[in-house]
Amino acid sequence: MAPITIDKVTKVYPNGFEAVHELELEVADGEFMVLVGPSGCGKTTALRMVAGLEDISGGTLRIGERVVNDVSSKDRDIAMVFQNYALYPHMTVAENIGFALKLRKLPKAEIKKKVEDAASILGLTEWLDRKPGQLSGGQRQRVAMGRAIVREPSVFLMDEPLSNLDAKLRVQMRAEVARIQRRLGVATLYVTHDQVEAMTMGDRVAVMRAGVLQQCDNPQVLYDHPSNLFVAGFMGSPAMNLFEASLGESASSALVGSQRVALPESLHTTRPALRSYANRPVILGIRPEDLLVEGDSIPTGSDYSPLEGDIELVEALGSELLVHFTTDAHRVEAEGAREADAEGLNAGSLTQGGEGVARVEPRAQLLAGRRVRFMLNPARLHFFDATNGKAITS
Amino acid sequence: MATLGVVPSVPATGGDAATPRPAGEHDVNRKRLARLGWSFSTPAFLVIGAFTIFPIGFSVAMSLSHVNVSGSGFSLNGFTGSNYSTLVHAPQWRYALGFTVVYTIVTVLVEVILGTCIALVLERLTKGRGLMMALLLVPWSMITVISAELWGYIYDASYGVLDQIFHAVGLGQPIFLGTPTPAIVAMMVADIWKTTPFVAIIVLAGLVMLPEELYEASEMDGASGWTTFWRVTFPLLRPTIALAVLFRVLQAFGLFDLPFVLTQGGPGYSTTSLAVLGYQVMFQDLNFGPGAAVATSTAVLVLIGCLLFLKVFRAQVGEEGS
Repeated sequence: MAPITIDKVTKVYPNGFEAVHELELEVADGEFMVLVGPSGCGKTTALRMVAGLEDISGGTLRIGERVVNDVSSKDRDIAMVFQNYALYPHMTVAENIGFALKLRKLPKAEIKKKVEDAASILGLTEWLDRKPGQLSGGQRQRVAMGRAIVREPSVFLMDEPLSNLDAKLRVQMRAEVARIQRRLGVATLYVTHDQVEAMTMGDRVAVMRAGVLQQCDNPQVLYDHPSNLFVAGFMGSPAMNLFEASLGESASSALVGSQRVALPESLHTTRPALRSYANRPVILGIRPEDLLVEGDSIPTGSDYSPLEGDIELVEALGSELLVHFTTDAHRVEAEGAREADAEGLNAGSLTQGGEGVARVEPRAQLLAGRRVRFMLNPARLHFFDATNGKAITS
Repeated sequence: MATLGVVPSVPATGGDAATPRPAGEHDVNRKRLARLGWSFSTPAFLVIGAFTIFPIGFSVAMSLSHVNVSGSGFSLNGFTGSNYSTLVHAPQWRYALGFTVVYTIVTVLVEVILGTCIALVLERLTKGRGLMMALLLVPWSMITVISAELWGYIYDASYGVLDQIFHAVGLGQPIFLGTPTPAIVAMMVADIWKTTPFVAIIVLAGLVMLPEELYEASEMDGASGWTTFWRVTFPLLRPTIALAVLFRVLQAFGLFDLPFVLTQGGPGYSTTSLAVLGYQVMFQDLNFGPGAAVATSTAVLVLIGCLLFLKVFRAQVGEEGS
C-alpha cells in the first residue's frame, strides 16, 4: 500500500490565482486524512491535483515511491468518490461498480465476485440490478463507495462525499465510511468543509485556509491546541469565544473588557512566553465548555478566575444548555471561520458582536436577563498574538 | 424521455385527495377554476380547430370520397377506398414512397453522425465557441427555398461552380441535376449542408448537460477517450439524439422545397418525394381525391414510423429514471 506525499505542491491558475500554496502533507499507510476548510480554501483543488484532474503548477506529488505529477489519473492507482457520486445513470449498480474491472478486461466471473463482495460490504446486494435513478441518496453514495472499493486502489480520494445527504443520513454514513476505510486499511484523503466530519472521521486533520495549510494534527490536538486564531475559530461547535484582552504588569492578569482575570503562576510555568506579552494586547480564547457555572464540578482550592456576563438567551438542547451572554469585552471573529458556520453545519451559533457562548450542564438554573458568573480554569485558556494571530503556546 | 409528448394539463381542478376540504368550498373553487381554464383555452381551441383540425379532417374526408370540383366549390360524394387503391397501384406513388424513405434514412443518418461529431468538437472549444455556433447556424437559418436556389446555381450544368471545379480537376462535366442518381445525391448534400447544424446544436445542448464528473469518473476508472464516448457519452446522449432524429424524420419525410426548386421532381420522377407527388396530383392534375390520399397516407406513415421508433427507443433506454 502506498502512502501519499504532497511536497510543496502549488496550484496557480492561468489567471494568476494561487489556489494552493506550497502544500506539504503526508498520508501514511491506512491513514484517514481529512482536509478541511471553508469554501474556496483550496482543499478540493489539492484533492483534484492528487487525483490527476488538475495539473500541478509546482512541487512534487508522490504516490508510494513514484512521482506522479505527470502521470494520468488512470495510472495513479487511486479511486475517487465524487461529491455528486458521478454514477453512470444508464448502468445498473453492478455495472457501475464493475465498470473499471470490465475496462481492465478481467474475466466476467471474477468481476461478478468482486462486485458481489463489495456489495455485501456495503449492503447493496439486493440493489445490484437497479439503476442509480431508482436508488435513494444514501444508496447512491454507497454505490460510489463500491466503485472505489472494488478496484482495490492504493489510495482513496473522497470529495465531500456526504454533503448531498440529509443531516441524519450524513451522521449515519459518516460512521459507515470511517468503518469501511478502517476495514480496508487504504490510505484516504477526504475533503470536507464540515469540521464535525473532520473531527469525527479523521485520524489526522489538515486545516486549510486561502490555499495555505494552517495546521495538521490529530483532531483532539487541533481542538485543544490550535496553532492560530483561524484553527481555533474553525474547529469546534459552537466556536471558541475569542475576546480582545490585554495582559497586565508581569502578565499576572488579563483585562477582558472591564473585568480582570487572574493568571496564576502555574500558567506561566507551562507557558513562559506569556511573560513577554506583559502590558500588551492579546486575544483570549475560551472554549464554550470551559466556562463553568455553579453546579459544574469545580475542584476545591483551585485557582479558577471568575468572568461575569449578562445572559441574553438560553438554548436548552436536552443534554446541555447553550448560554449566550454579553460582556463589555470586544469579541474577535476568526476571519473565514464564520463562513464555514454559515454553511449550516455548525449547530447553535447565534453569537454576534460582544456575545459569548457557554456550554453548561442542563440542570443549571440560568435565565435570560440575569447576570451570570462563570469560572475559568486558567490552564484551559488560549492566548493568541493580537498582531499575527499565532497561538502563544510555549 | 418523459419530455417527449408530455403536455401540461389544463389548469388544475384541485382534485387532491390528500387534503380534504369542506365540500361546498371545494366545488365552488373547482367550478371557478374550470371556467377560468376554459376561458383561457377557448381562443387556442378555436384557432387550432379552424386552421389545423378542420383542414386535416377535410383532407382525410376528401381522401375517402369521390371529390367533385365545380364553380361552387368542392363536393364530397360518397365513401370510397378507391383513392387509396389507386395510389397503391400507381408506380409513381410506390417510387415516391421508396425515394422518401431512402432519402430520409440517408440524410438523417449522415446528419446525426456529422452533427454529433461537430457537437463534440464544439463542446471542447474553449475560445470562439459562440462565433463558431453562429457561423454554423447560418445555413440552418436560411429559408430553404433560398438555399435551394443557391444550390441550384452551384449545381448548374452550364455556369455552376461545382461544374467548373469538376472540369478544372479533370473529372469531366457531370450533369448534376439532369441525371437521376447525381440529382438525388446532390439534393441530399444540400439537405445535409442545411440541416446538420440543427442536429449539432441539439446534440451540443445535450452534451453540455452531461455532468463533467462523469467524464472524470470514467477517466479514473481507466477508460480511454474512445471508450468514454461509447460507454458513457453516447448512451447518455441517446435521448437527445432520439429527439433530433424525431424532428429530422418528421421534416425529411415531408421533403418538398428542395426538389420543388431544384428539379421539380425530375429528371423523370426520380426526385419526386411524397409531398411533391401530393402537390402534383392535387394542384397540377387537380385530382383532389388521390392527392388527399397521398397527403393522408404520408402523415399516417410518418406517424407510425415515429411511434415505432419511440417504442423501440423506450424499450432500449428503459427506465433510466431521473
